Amino acid sequence: MNTRWRFYLVGFLLLMAIDTGAQLCFKLAATHAAPFAADPGWLLRVLREPWVYGAIAGYLGAFVTYMTLLKHAPVGPAFAASHLQVVSVMAASAWLFGERLAPLQLVGAALIVLGILVLARAEDEVAQTTPGHAR
Amino acid sequence: MPPISFALWLLVLVFDTGGQLAFKAASGVPGEGLGHWRAMAVRPWLWLGIAAFTCEFVTWLAFLSVVPLAEGVLLSCLNMAAVMLGGRWLFGERLTARRLLGVALITLGVVLVGAG
Repeated sequence: MNTRWRFYLVGFLLLMAIDTGAQLCFKLAATHAAPFAADPGWLLRVLREPWVYGAIAGYLGAFVTYMTLLKHAPVGPAFAASHLQVVSVMAASAWLFGERLAPLQLVGAALIVLGILVLARAEDEVAQTTPGHAR
Repeated sequence: MPPISFALWLLVLVFDTGGQLAFKAASGVPGEGLGHWRAMAVRPWLWLGIAAFTCEFVTWLAFLSVVPLAEGVLLSCLNMAAVMLGGRWLFGERLTARRLLGVALITLGVVLVGAG
């Protein structure tokens, strides 16, 4: 496995993990601060919830990771590949919160993973035809 | 789609695509580690991207208040195509058959997950 491959693999998996963690923190913070109301009381309850700080830290971490990836990765495929978190958040919600998954959602998740594998293959192809450029 | 939903959807598309392209422009400045971040912080692109995402957040919330979530996710899938075209136009990124296939599969996958 060459350096570029390792960089993309580690980067996108890290992005997925941090993004998923942040979404789970959001969900936990929202659940604990329920019921929702558009008033200062609800906002105060959210701010007293430790999970919300996990979510904020996650967003900052994801931002730093994504900017580092973008330095080398083309933005079109990188933005598409960042949708991997749709799959991981779905899996984590089913596992942790017992959310039900429709068969069509599982097909969708499989298509997202397949699409990312195709994009990874596409990067190899582009790297071979235009050496030294991440375009 | 009522004009207000269409206008909000268009704004989400513009802010999301603009934000992604601004981040790509920001990341292109030379430098490593903290030096790279310092170089990005003194140029407008990073801030433009952050401003675009702040606007997108508000517009997205407004958009979801007028259309159902599944429909909203469905329409936001066009953002991927727009970022791909923007990358080609501004940064000379290549639109190979494999890349188009990969992005099409991911788009379809997100639509199915959202529809479920």
